[in-house]
Amino acid sequence: MAAAIETKKLTKSYKSKAHGMVDVVSQLDLHVEEGEIFGFLGPNGAGKTTTIKMLLSIIEPSAGEAYVLGKELGDFDVHKIISYVPERPYYYEYMTGMEILKFYGSLFGITDTARMDMLLEKVNLHRDKTKTISQFSKGMQQRIGLAQALINDPKLLFLDEPTGGLDPIAHREIRDLILGFREEGRTVFISSHELSEVELICDRVAIINHGVIARQGKLTELLKGGRVELSVTDVKRELLEDMKLPDSNIHQTAAGLLFDVPEEADINSIIDGIRAHKGSISGVVPRKKRLEDLFVETVNAKNKGDNRI
Amino acid sequence: MRPILAIAKATVGEAIRRRVLLIMLFIATVLLFVAPLLGVLSQRSEQTVLTGFVLGIVQLSSAVIAITLTVYMLPNEVERRTIYTILSKPVQRYQFLLGKYFGAVAALGLMMGLMSCVTLVEFGLIQHNWGKGIELLQGIGMFFIQMSLLASVAMCLSTFIAPLVNFFLTGGIYLIGTLGYAFFDSFNKNPNAPPFSKALAWFVSTILPNFASYNVQNKLINPDSVIVDPVQYHINAVIYGVVYITIMLIGGMLIFDRREV
Repeated sequence: MAAAIETKKLTKSYKSKAHGMVDVVSQLDLHVEEGEIFGFLGPNGAGKTTTIKMLLSIIEPSAGEAYVLGKELGDFDVHKIISYVPERPYYYEYMTGMEILKFYGSLFGITDTARMDMLLEKVNLHRDKTKTISQFSKGMQQRIGLAQALINDPKLLFLDEPTGGLDPIAHREIRDLILGFREEGRTVFISSHELSEVELICDRVAIINHGVIARQGKLTELLKGGRVELSVTDVKRELLEDMKLPDSNIHQTAAGLLFDVPEEADINSIIDGIRAHKGSISGVVPRKKRLEDLFVETVNAKNKGDNRI
Repeated sequence: MRPILAIAKATVGEAIRRRVLLIMLFIATVLLFVAPLLGVLSQRSEQTVLTGFVLGIVQLSSAVIAITLTVYMLPNEVERRTIYTILSKPVQRYQFLLGKYFGAVAALGLMMGLMSCVTLVEFGLIQHNWGKGIELLQGIGMFFIQMSLLASVAMCLSTFIAPLVNFFLTGGIYLIGTLGYAFFDSFNKNPNAPPFSKALAWFVSTILPNFASYNVQNKLINPDSVIVDPVQYHINAVIYGVVYITIMLIGGMLIFDRREV
C-alpha cells in the first residue's frame, strides 16, 4: 500500500539558552499508509504538534526528509488535498456555520453552497447553520472544524486532539465521523491523549517521547501480550507450581487460587493439567493488554533511559 | 488574490466587532458632536478651534484605533491557532499577511468614514458651512493614508515584536514622525549641527516615516505651512505613503516568512 506520510530522520531543533541546540523532534521515521487511521501518541511536549506543523509545512525541519501524499515537504500543491483541525480550534466567532464553510471554501476557490449544506448535514449542524460560532458548544465547534476540513475533499486529514475536552456524547459523534472518513478512503492522522478513543479507531499507532519514536506498529500487534486469569479451587498451590509454566504467577485469594498466565499459552492444556490435579476451574477471565498500559510502559521505559524498546 | 480577499473580508468582520475599538470609536464620535461647545473656551475664532479640535479627535482616535487594531492582529491569530488552519490550506504566508493588512485598513476606512460623516453633518448641517466640511474631508482623506502607513509600520513590527512593545514602539514612531519630523529635518539640514546629532536627525527624518506631511489641513500643527501646488503636494504625499507602505509590507512578509509560528 502506498504511503500517505513517510518521514526519514525528520528532525527539528531549537536553540535553548540553557541547553544550546535542543532536538524537539529527533530522527523521526514515520510511515502512515493510505486509507488508515493513524494514532500519533505521546505525553505533553513530546513533539507531536511540532511534527504535525512540519508535515503541514508550517515550520521547516532542521534535518531529514518527509513526503506527504508522495510530495516532498514544502510542495504547495499538497495543501489542496490535505486538511488540518488544530487542538481546541478557534473560528471567527461572529460567523455562522455556513459562513465558516464559505470562508474556508473561498481559500480554495470553492463556492458550491450545495456541498457546504451537505457537509453541515454530515456533521449534524444543518439545523444550526444560522447560529454564530459564539453560540456553538465545544462539540459543535469541533464538528464545524471537521466540516471545514472536508471542504476541499481531502485525501489526508490531520486532527490534533479531536476529542479533547468533549463530553461523552460529543466524543462518540466525533469518533463516528472519523470512522466514516476511513470508509470514504481518506487517511486520518490523529494526535491524541485519549488512548481509549485511539484504541477504538486507529489501525496503527506511533508513540513519541522526548521527540523520539518509541514504538510504532499495528495496534493489534502492539497490544499482544495480554494475560488470562484462571480461578482455581480445591487444589494445592504446590501441585500447580509443579506444572512449571513460564511467566505465570499464582496468587492466593479468599476463594482459592488465581492462576495468571500469558494469553499465548495453551489455556486448554493448563486447564487439563489443573483438572488432572483434581482442581476445579471457577473462572477464566482474559485480561487484554490496553493501549494505556502500552503507553505508560513505553513512556516510563523511555524516561528511565531504556532504549531497547 | 482570492485568499487575500477572503482573509481581508474576515478581518474586517472581526475588527468592526472588537469591543475595544468600538468603544474608542464611540468616544471619538461623541467628542466630535460636542466639539462646537468647546469653541467658547478659546479666544481664537470659533471655527479655527472647532477645525483643530475635530481634526485632532479624528487623527488621535484613528491613530489609537490603527495601532490597537494592527499590533494584536498576527499574535492573536497565532495564539488562537487560526493561522494554522489557514496556512494548512493553499494560502501562502505573504497572502495571509496582506489579507490581514488590507482587512485592517478597510476596517479603519469604515471607522474613519463614520467619523467623516459626523464631521460633515457637524459642519454642513449644524454649522451651515458645507465648504469647510468638504475641505475637512480632504484632510481626513490624508489622515487615512497616514493611518494606513501607521498600520503598515505596526504590521511589520508585529511579525517579530510582542504586541505591548509594538504598541508603544509604533506609538513612539508615530509621535516622532508627526510632531518631531520638522524639527529633526531642520536639524539634519543644519550644517553647524554636531555630527552625532546630525546622524540622529538624518535617521529620524530619512528612515522613519514622515507622518507630518499628512497634517496639511491642521494649521494648529503646521501653522506656517504654505503649499504652492496643493495637487502636486497631495500626489507626492500619496506616492510617499504607498512606497513606504510597500516597503513595510515587503519587510514584514520577509520576516514573517522566516518566522517560526
